[in-house]
Amino acid sequence: MADVAPAATAPILPDTGVQLRAIALLRWQIFKNSLRTMRGRLEVVSWIFIGFWFAALGLGGAFGIAIGSWWMISHNRSDLLAALFWPVFVFWICFPLVATAFTELFDSSNLLRYPLRYSSFFLVNLIYGSLDGSTIVGLLWLIGAAIGMSIASPSFAPWIVLALAVFGAANIFLIRALFAWIERWLAQRKTREIMGIIFFLIIIGFQFIGPLTQRAHRQHFQLPSYVSKAIVVQKFLPAGLIAGAIDGSVRSDWLSAAGSLLLLVAYAGAFCFLFHVRLHGQYTGENFGESASPETVPAERAETQSGWALPGLSGQLAAIMEKEARYLSRSGPMLFALVMPVVVLLLFHMGGNPNRPNAVAHNPNLAFPIGAAYSLLLLTNLIYNNFGADGMGIQFFFVAPVKMRSVVIAKNLVHSGVLALEMGLVLLATYLMYGPPEPDVIVATLVGVLFAIPLDFCVGNLLSLYSPKKYDYGAFGRQRAPGLTVLASFAVQALTIGSAVAVVLIARHYGTLWLASVLFGALAVVSWASYQAVLGRIDDIALSKRESLISIIAKTS
Amino acid sequence: MDTAAISTTNLTRRFGDFVAVDSINLRVTPGQFFGFLGPNGAGKSTTIKMLTGLLAPSAGRMEILGLDLASHSLEVKQNIGVVPEGMALFGRLTGPEYLNFAGRMYGLDRDTAAKRTAELLEFMHLDREPKKLITDYSHGMQKKLALAAAVIHGPKILFLDEPFEGVDAIASGTLKAMLQRMILRGATIFLTSHVLEIVERLCSHLAIIHQGRLVAQGSLEELRSGVQAMPADQRVLGAPAEKLTLEEIFLRIVGGSRSDDQELSWLT
Repeated sequence: MADVAPAATAPILPDTGVQLRAIALLRWQIFKNSLRTMRGRLEVVSWIFIGFWFAALGLGGAFGIAIGSWWMISHNRSDLLAALFWPVFVFWICFPLVATAFTELFDSSNLLRYPLRYSSFFLVNLIYGSLDGSTIVGLLWLIGAAIGMSIASPSFAPWIVLALAVFGAANIFLIRALFAWIERWLAQRKTREIMGIIFFLIIIGFQFIGPLTQRAHRQHFQLPSYVSKAIVVQKFLPAGLIAGAIDGSVRSDWLSAAGSLLLLVAYAGAFCFLFHVRLHGQYTGENFGESASPETVPAERAETQSGWALPGLSGQLAAIMEKEARYLSRSGPMLFALVMPVVVLLLFHMGGNPNRPNAVAHNPNLAFPIGAAYSLLLLTNLIYNNFGADGMGIQFFFVAPVKMRSVVIAKNLVHSGVLALEMGLVLLATYLMYGPPEPDVIVATLVGVLFAIPLDFCVGNLLSLYSPKKYDYGAFGRQRAPGLTVLASFAVQALTIGSAVAVVLIARHYGTLWLASVLFGALAVVSWASYQAVLGRIDDIALSKRESLISIIAKTS
Repeated sequence: MDTAAISTTNLTRRFGDFVAVDSINLRVTPGQFFGFLGPNGAGKSTTIKMLTGLLAPSAGRMEILGLDLASHSLEVKQNIGVVPEGMALFGRLTGPEYLNFAGRMYGLDRDTAAKRTAELLEFMHLDREPKKLITDYSHGMQKKLALAAAVIHGPKILFLDEPFEGVDAIASGTLKAMLQRMILRGATIFLTSHVLEIVERLCSHLAIIHQGRLVAQGSLEELRSGVQAMPADQRVLGAPAEKLTLEEIFLRIVGGSRSDDQELSWLT
């Protein structure tokens, strides 16, 4: 038997800096290689264009915040700083969650095959994860605040910068931890169900909060008691604490300032710890597969069930629809997207001023159309990248005796079903939280969706073939839509919203919202005709694009 | 002359300036177990992709069961089964769901698809974990499932791209049993493989592609005879031609040789 020499010493792992540089070089090389294709070049142009919008938002916001914070400090109104930091905090945390098409948090799981220390793994995740759009915009805003406040009160600049740095770190840790934990919760059916129940209980709870707030309003309180309590509570949350830390320092109340900052540091530490727990799980090779664990699977052979039979539809269509539905039902992120419109309605409702009953926060006639529009927007991730999640299975559609037209129709039908379900949820949530919308509003919204959805399908089916991107239904927040798709989606949404506004204005001019339903109906005929025209060409396009489609969707990493 | 199961005329595929498949003329008669061999990058997968509709040819013509693939693609696809390089699996379905799906895509009614699904799962020994997602299957299980999906509709021709790659001996035995059963029932099988021992044991006819060109075609005996007729200075291997294994024939035809003399000093 051959002797095997035992390893005398622990292996010498590469330096973290070397590994970070290697990863940076790898990403640069991937980027350079992507420029070899026309699609890659278009993608870069698209993201430069989108980058301008983010830059405008970041720099414009930074300028505004600099002015605002300068004014507050120089006019001794540092007690108002919380009003500045809360929007920053909410944008930083909520934008990546509600606009996942822009979000691509760094997916480092592929790096685990290399000899990476945990500290390097953590650092890599943190550094590359911080290159996310909302984080860059948030950081720019904080720089703006630092400049504004430092100009107003130069002697406090070091303290202000320190406090803002802690706030920034807390936000970065929080968003990373949020994504990591949501992905974990969505990874398995059991945890998804628990989340679903909690969410349902929150919605039901709002049935009781509504009447309570209305009663408080009737009693002519200046501020309802829950708002007063919220103002107190917010002081102990990150955005309130950063405001408190700076406010305390400029008022020379150093005890309060230091206390706030220490609590903020504690928050940052807690978020960092939560992030570490998930990341360490990934590092040690945890696997939250969707499959039932072997212990729960009966040893005997399970009886094979027949596939779906859908009246009026061919076996092929029914089979593809069944496959799509199964895929979606096993996708945590997709189920998350399904409840997000309701979450947004909830946030609007919570953030509303009870003294303005006509605002969105209390108006079901505004809440329902907004919820419906947002539902449609969220579905663009699906609609504009039809084949993204098919992986190797995309090959099947080209080797099986099926027309691509049938495949696309089946996918569109399932996505329509998802939208219908989502609209039902939005209507229910509107009813529970805001009260019943007017019938003419409901009908106009539904007919408006009938106009918008064929238009989205029309463009989405084309982009699914011309600008595909591999998408993993199991991962959350680690994949961004192609830039071209984001731009086209923007254009279609702008067209849809512009048309909707025009239709509603015309209807209001004539004094009846029922007219809007008629006009939307006419527009729906046009968009339906466009959809049919695209369907008529879809087989030829799919055949001409099959090689790039397969190579992108079926790639192994 | 009988209709060929598969025939190509000057089939060519270019990627820019690179000619991956160069005017090949293949002829596979019905009932043959046909092995399509070649070194890495020779054009095997490109050819099989073109024959199964995954890739468009740059030039040339392909006929499957006498039907032109370009103009009768749906009819052709109805009569063939394919296990492509990536196996064409939908990872987030379970095995039974995928087979049911495949059956119905090939036009089987619900009951027949369900019945054949159950039979295939049992034959392939995949029926023990019906709720397991395909993405959690081992490589061998995925290969068996992909083959099951390719045969669920009883195809006349089966195209297999590297069916034995990464498959253990047990799974390999199951795959071979399935393929031999199909041949006994008159099906034609066209496979590419690097495992020459298996090809030698299974295939009745072979073709060898090298640098995009078809360099040999025929039965194993015909290939041996061809090698025997080669000039003596081209016989790299010392064995008499009548005793040559397929591996030796292959190496002689493509002109390859094992290179053991180069050392990687750092690789201890």
